[in-house]
Amino acid sequence: MQNREATGGRPQRGPQDEGVRPTRRSFLKVTWILVLVPVAVFAQATTTPNGGYVGSAVCKGCHPDVWMNFPKNPHFKSVASGKETPENTGCEGCHGPGAAHVKAGGGKTSIPHAFSLMEPAQIIDDCLRCHAKDISRANIRRSVHTDADVVCNTCHSIHKPQAPKFLLAKVQKDLCYQCHATVRAQFDMPVKHRVNEGVIQCSDCHNPHGTFAATWRMGVRPAMVDQAAGSEEACIKCHQDKRGPFVFEHAVIRVEGCETCHSPHGSMNSKLLRRPVVYTLCLECHNGAGSVGLQSSGVPAQSGSHNMLNPQFQNCTLCHVRIHGSNADANFLR
Amino acid sequence: MRTLLVSFLLLLPALRAQETVAPTVNEQVGPPRGENQGNYNIVQSWELGYRYSLIGGDEGKYRSDVNYGNGVRLLSSYLTINSKDGHGKLYDEIVLTTQGLGNDPYESATLRVQKNGLYRYDVQWRLNSYFNPGLDTAEGLHLENTQQRWQDHDLVLFPQGKIRVKAGYSRNMEDGPALTTTNLFENERGNIFTLFSNVKREYNSYRVGADLDFWGFRLSVLGRWEFYKEDTPYSLAPPSTGLTTGVTTLTSFYRAAPIHGETPGFLMHLSTEKKKYAVNGRFAYTSGNHNFVMNESAVGTGLAGAENRLVITYGDAKRPVTSADLNISYFPTDKVTITNNTSVDDNRIVGNSYFEQFDLASLTATTLNFQYLGIRLVTNSTDAHYHLTKKVDFFTGYRYANREIKSIQSITDPATPFTNQLYTQSNSLYAGVAGLNWIIAAPLRLQLETEIGRNDNPFTLVTHKNYHKIDGRLQYKRKSIFATAGYKQTYNNDSITLTSYSSHARNYFANFTWAARDWLALDAGYSKMHLDTLGGLTFFAGLPRVSLQTGQSLYISNIHAANLGLRFSIKKRADLYLGYNITLDAGDGRAGLMTPGTVAALLYNVQTFPLNFESPLMRLTIPITKKIKWNAGYQYYGYHEEFGINSILQNYHAHTGYTSVLWAF
Repeated sequence: MQNREATGGRPQRGPQDEGVRPTRRSFLKVTWILVLVPVAVFAQATTTPNGGYVGSAVCKGCHPDVWMNFPKNPHFKSVASGKETPENTGCEGCHGPGAAHVKAGGGKTSIPHAFSLMEPAQIIDDCLRCHAKDISRANIRRSVHTDADVVCNTCHSIHKPQAPKFLLAKVQKDLCYQCHATVRAQFDMPVKHRVNEGVIQCSDCHNPHGTFAATWRMGVRPAMVDQAAGSEEACIKCHQDKRGPFVFEHAVIRVEGCETCHSPHGSMNSKLLRRPVVYTLCLECHNGAGSVGLQSSGVPAQSGSHNMLNPQFQNCTLCHVRIHGSNADANFLR
Repeated sequence: MRTLLVSFLLLLPALRAQETVAPTVNEQVGPPRGENQGNYNIVQSWELGYRYSLIGGDEGKYRSDVNYGNGVRLLSSYLTINSKDGHGKLYDEIVLTTQGLGNDPYESATLRVQKNGLYRYDVQWRLNSYFNPGLDTAEGLHLENTQQRWQDHDLVLFPQGKIRVKAGYSRNMEDGPALTTTNLFENERGNIFTLFSNVKREYNSYRVGADLDFWGFRLSVLGRWEFYKEDTPYSLAPPSTGLTTGVTTLTSFYRAAPIHGETPGFLMHLSTEKKKYAVNGRFAYTSGNHNFVMNESAVGTGLAGAENRLVITYGDAKRPVTSADLNISYFPTDKVTITNNTSVDDNRIVGNSYFEQFDLASLTATTLNFQYLGIRLVTNSTDAHYHLTKKVDFFTGYRYANREIKSIQSITDPATPFTNQLYTQSNSLYAGVAGLNWIIAAPLRLQLETEIGRNDNPFTLVTHKNYHKIDGRLQYKRKSIFATAGYKQTYNNDSITLTSYSSHARNYFANFTWAARDWLALDAGYSKMHLDTLGGLTFFAGLPRVSLQTGQSLYISNIHAANLGLRFSIKKRADLYLGYNITLDAGDGRAGLMTPGTVAALLYNVQTFPLNFESPLMRLTIPITKKIKWNAGYQYYGYHEEFGINSILQNYHAHTGYTSVLWAF
């Protein structure tokens, strides 16, 4: 043992070996080989089982910066559980088997699933392998975002998220504003929902993964507005007093939706209205013309007793206070 | 020697396999942020400060638009506790964030606590202080000074298991004082009186459900019970002579109109995802029911003398809603995705209301109302997405929707049966979409999308009838630069027999974000939003005699919006952010308004509403120690209407700011 240490660990034939018989030498050779063969085979087997999965511990060796915060990542659960199969565990759960990458000594092209090199459809396919079955992603295949090649890693950053929940690459509103510049401009208007102030988020009303067909308007648009409980328009989530049911519904709200009168993101007008004064908003529909309305004979025009030059009649909701629906009065007066 | 050679050859693969197995760090979490306590890593920040505001001009409008006040606030806080190995004893993660606590008008707090494989609990709490200014009669906005508070609790048991149990609770409360109005005694000839109301609305929702994974399918079921009640009382607010020129007066008034209701419902969702196809279906049913009573007493004078009126109304309204969706996606090759969706939604709103009116202790009116509104909407859409090459892909789609609306509006007295005249109308929409995504060069991407649709019988004049949309966008993205520019137009033409309605919306935008260095970042954007609409009007007006008038409602809005943000650090000793936002509606270019009082002025003066809203801001952060920073912020708000409407200008300017200390590690 002392000799081996002195020679750097290499086995040396010393004087004490002189007396060893040839049969014993042969035995030692065979034993030595028998010991080494399983070691070599075992080493091979542990690094490339099941088509080249090497385990996250190997990835950690070269990517300590990614690994350092990975235990805070929701995907770490697959490692922590210890029960998942290699193709569903840790780094290789998303990036595929790492043996080729290890063999190549690194490089993106040797990663089977390098997301920065993948086509949008492949990225969706990969993420949906685990995330497809949630109802919130039921419509991702036909969503406007998917059509526009806005896919998972456009908004989510798995390794460098700025928001702790949902692994968002940026604070949610900034992420959305990046593409939706005119929506950002609407939230900078004097009257707006409080998104910039942080009390409301885009995802309170929208599902960026796609939504079921709207149950208002003609179901085609808006394409990305989420539904409240009861398959209703998202506005109802907060504005419960407008939900009803009312004996006297303002039918247009149920049929065409709140955005008939309101601009939901922001407006230059009070109460997010589409017009600076109420009477033009009301009279544009209530003019008795056409084959529109509940009875296909036009939406009823105003009463002849309303003199629009009298300021009292210029604000319709001064009397029609229950304009979203009433239980007591067909004309929404109380 | 041979033994050594054989040994060496055998060891080669072993050594080669082991060469990259080299764990480096013992700590799994910690750097770059956080401190370790036992098996947990903790990251936190707390920002405590003082906020101030100085307002000039219309304070009501400021409170409506901005609403920040004075006082000490916990401006923001952030806390995460994570187990290092995913095997914490009671929890593996706690995330707590707060904003504006301590009387900001916009407050929120979120909490997540979870233990891997066992449970996940999420809470969100929010508060919004709402203010709506009470203007004079012509503007007629009802003053409101209310607070709305939401809380949502969601618990998932066994979140990574094949069977997940879910439970949740939500609460939404709104309360506070408000002013509203009522018209009494002589209908249109009567006066309008201001009423004080103490808003009390409360919504509670309970839900229980489960997800089950089996044979490649996932089944989700959810039961939900929602309860809503509104108990807002109304009483007379001075002046009792009313707001307008009518001769009626009101000396006492009281109205109680409680509405209590419940909305039970359930939802089922079944989905599967295979290599060649994906299918999911949803079925949801909700049964809404509201019961109400209204008791209103009013004493005053009408045209004929003393009035003492009692009105009693009671009844209920029901709304069962059934929705079903089937989504089928087919992937014939790696390059093609075809998706078909069919949705059916059925709303039936049925209500009855009993109405009694007593004048001077005599029963003067008794009516029964029955209302029915049924909406059945069927939509079908087919979308195809084809990836021609790695750089070019197309998509196209066809949508069809059919809607049938049935209605009954019956009114009778208790002795006479309802006539129940049923009206039915239906309409169909046919629309097509097509688009292109093209990576022109590695960082440059072009997106185009168009849609054209025809609706054969729209429900209102302002609804899309013959419409088209064009949406184009050019995007440039490199590591430190993100730039995008685009154009979007939506045109709608709804010509009908007596009048017409058309709208043209054109939006242009450009955005530029540049993270030049660690210490320098720039963000700039510009949008122009043009809207012009033209609709026919029919109304009554005139002095001294009222007569039928026809005219057109022309509305033109030309909004220019710009934002600029510049952030830079000075050798890690200070961090400065400068920003500027402006939203300017240039209107239609007119110089002024017509003198009110004529029909022409009535239309002309509301055709455009030019105003300017701008807000420069500045934030300075100076590190005091490694863990403590001092912050100061200033933001100016300037609101300027060009004309005002009905001679009311709500202009204001406000200087707001804060100073705070941030402690973080």
